[in-house]
Amino acid sequence: MTFKKSSYWMFLIPCLLAITLVIIIPFIQGIYYSFTEYNGFQVAAFIGLDNYTRLISDGQFWDSMLFTAGFSIASVIGINALGLGFALLVTQKFSKITSTLFRTIYFMPNLIGGIILGFIWQFIFLKAFASIGEITGIDAFNGWLSDTNTGFWGLVILFVWQMSGYIMVIYISFLNNVPEELLEASTIDGANAWQKFWKIKFPLVAPAFTISMFLTLSNAFKVYDQNMALTAGGPFSSTEMATMNIYNTAFKIQEMGYAQAKAVIFLVIITIISVLQIYITRKREVDL
Amino acid sequence: MKKRLIGLFFTLTVFLLIGSACSTNTESGNNDQVELSIFNIKVETKDQLEEMIAKYEEENPDVKINLTTVGGGQDATSALQAKFSSNDEPNIFLLGGLSDVAKYQDYLIDVSEMESAKTAIDGTLEGATLDGTPYGIPLNIEGYSWMINKDIFNQAGVDPESIGSYQDFVEAVETIDSQKEELGLESVFAFSGKEDWVVSQFSSHFTSPEFNNSVIEAYESEQLDLEYGSRMKEYTDLFNQYNAQPILSLDYSTSVEEMFAGGQVAIIHQGNWIIPSLDSIDESFASEKLGILPMYVEDDTEGKIIAGPSWFWGINGDKDEASVEESKAFMDWMYTSDYGQEKIMSDFKYIPAHEGYDTDAIADEVSKTIYEMLMNGETGVWANNQYPDGFFSTALFPEFQKYLNGDITWEDFEEVTKENYSKMR
Repeated sequence: MTFKKSSYWMFLIPCLLAITLVIIIPFIQGIYYSFTEYNGFQVAAFIGLDNYTRLISDGQFWDSMLFTAGFSIASVIGINALGLGFALLVTQKFSKITSTLFRTIYFMPNLIGGIILGFIWQFIFLKAFASIGEITGIDAFNGWLSDTNTGFWGLVILFVWQMSGYIMVIYISFLNNVPEELLEASTIDGANAWQKFWKIKFPLVAPAFTISMFLTLSNAFKVYDQNMALTAGGPFSSTEMATMNIYNTAFKIQEMGYAQAKAVIFLVIITIISVLQIYITRKREVDL
Repeated sequence: MKKRLIGLFFTLTVFLLIGSACSTNTESGNNDQVELSIFNIKVETKDQLEEMIAKYEEENPDVKINLTTVGGGQDATSALQAKFSSNDEPNIFLLGGLSDVAKYQDYLIDVSEMESAKTAIDGTLEGATLDGTPYGIPLNIEGYSWMINKDIFNQAGVDPESIGSYQDFVEAVETIDSQKEELGLESVFAFSGKEDWVVSQFSSHFTSPEFNNSVIEAYESEQLDLEYGSRMKEYTDLFNQYNAQPILSLDYSTSVEEMFAGGQVAIIHQGNWIIPSLDSIDESFASEKLGILPMYVEDDTEGKIIAGPSWFWGINGDKDEASVEESKAFMDWMYTSDYGQEKIMSDFKYIPAHEGYDTDAIADEVSKTIYEMLMNGETGVWANNQYPDGFFSTALFPEFQKYLNGDITWEDFEEVTKENYSKMR
C-alpha cells in the first residue's frame, strides 16, 4: 500500500520512538535484570535462572497470585453483572434528563483515582460500618478489613463500585444498536420482557462481553493502588495482590532482580489468561 | 504536493515538541548561585524546615535551596531510591539506618570534620558510622515506649510514678481495666496493630538488649535469637487482651488522634513525635496529661525506653565542590547557629542531638524525660532500624499479626521470625 511513502514513516516514527523508549527498551532491560542479582543501583552478579527457580518455592508469591485470581473472578462477575444491569436500567424509556442523570451518577466513581477511592472505602468499612453495627446490633458490620474474608470482599466491593459504571457505558452502546424491528417483531410474537432479554438482547451484546471481560480481567489483575490504600496487604499479608508482592520485593526488600523475575512470570500468566479469554468469548459472538 | 508539505510540517512539529520536552532546564539564571536540593522525610516539620531555609537564603543570597518532602503514608525510602535511579540525586537527604548508609556509601561524604558532627552528643553518630567513618549528622533524638494519659491513671487511683516493675505495670493495667466504665474508657490500650512500623518499634525493646544496645552490633548481626522473647510474649498478650478491637485494623490516626487524644484509652505505644499532633487537638494534653512508661525487659525492676537519633542527614559528595561545601555550611548553620538552635527547640520541638543547647527549654515533660533517660543510659537503641531490608514489613509484621489474631502460636512466631531474619540478612 503506502508503506514506501516517506510521509507514512514520518508520521509513524514519533510514535514508534516513544513506544521503543518507554516500553520496548525497558521491557528488554527488565528481562535481563530478571537473570541477575540487582539492587536498583548496580548488578551484583549474573545468576541465570536462579531467580526463577527460587520463585517456584516462594509461598507468599503464589498465595498472592491465588488471591489475585480469586479477586479477579469475583470482580469480573460482579462488574459485568452490575454494569449490564445498569445499562439495561438506563436504556429504559425514561425522560432524557433522568437517563442522563443516572448514567452520570453510575459513571462517576470511575472518575476518582484508586488511592482516594481506597481511603474513602476504608473510612466506610472502618467507621461507617462500625457505627451501623453499633446502631443495628448486627455483628456482620463489625471488624471489616481486620480479617482475610472481609478484606477480600472489601476489595471486591470497591473495585466493582469503581468499574461497573465504565463497563455500563460499553453495554449501553451495544444495547442501543439492537435493532428496534427485532424487538417489535418479538413483541408481536408474544415474547415477554424476560424472553426478549435472554433470546435477543443477550446474544446481540455478546461482542460487548469480549471487550468488557478483557478490560475487567486485565484491570483486576493489575490492581495496585486500591489494594494499597484499602488494606495495604493486611492483615498479615493475606490480602496482598501479586502487584503489591512484586512492589514490596523490589522496593522494601530491595531485591530488584528477583522482583523482576516475578514480574515476568506475572506478565506471562496475564497474557495467557487474556488470550484464552478472548479466544473463548469470540467464539460465542453472534453476527446479525 | 501540498499534502506532503502539511505532513512534513506536522512531523517536524512533533519532533520539536519531543526535543524540547527531553532537554532539561540547565543553568538558568544567575551563574554564581549555588542550587541545593534537600530530600526531607519528616512531613511533620516540613513548614518549619521551609522557614529555616527561607531565613538561610535571606542571609546567603547566592544560595538557593529546593526542598522535596516525601513521607507520611508514602514509602519515602522508595522515593529516595527513585531520585537516585533517575540521576536526580539530592544534595542533602535523610538516612534511616546503617543499611541506608551502606547503600549510598559511594555518594556520602565523611562528616567527621563538620562542626555539626563535632558537637553531636557522644554516641549519636554511631547510627551512621561504617568502618569508623561517620557519614551522617543526627537529625534529632526520638524516643518511644508506652505513652500514657496520666489523667486517667490518676483518676483510676494509680500513680504513674509508683510503677517500678513489670508486675506493677500489669497491676496498673488491671486496675484501670476494672474501672473502664466509670472512666468512660473504650479500653486500656490502643496499640495500632495495622501499622508495621509500630510493631517494629515495639519489637526493638526486646531485640536491642540482645545486641548489647549497640546499633553497629545490631547491623552486623547475622541472626536474631529473640533472647527476651518470653517477655515480649507477656507484653504482647497483655496489650492484646486489653486492647481496642479489632486490633488488626487499628491504624495510627485512630489510635493516636482519636482514641488517645480523645481520652478513650490510657496507653499507646508511640514516641515523642506524636506531641505536635496531640497539641493541635488539645493544647494542654502534652504538658498536663502525657507521660511515658518504660518497659522492663532485661530486668524486672529496671525499666528502659528506646531513644536515640533515628534519622541522619547525609551529604552527597558526588556533586560539584561548591555545592558540597554549601551543603556542609547549611547543615552546620542549622545545628550550631543561635537562630538554628532556637528554632530546633522552639519550632521543630525536637529533642536536640547536639551539645550546646539550652536543654532546660525543652517544652514538654515527656521530651525532657526522654532526654534525661538518654543521658543516664536508661535507654536502648533503635535496633529496628538495623533489621535487614524489608524484614519488619514483610516478615516480622505479618507473623506478629497472625499471632495477635490467634492464628499461630508464639513458638511458631519466634521460629519463623528467626528463620526469616537470617535468610534476609
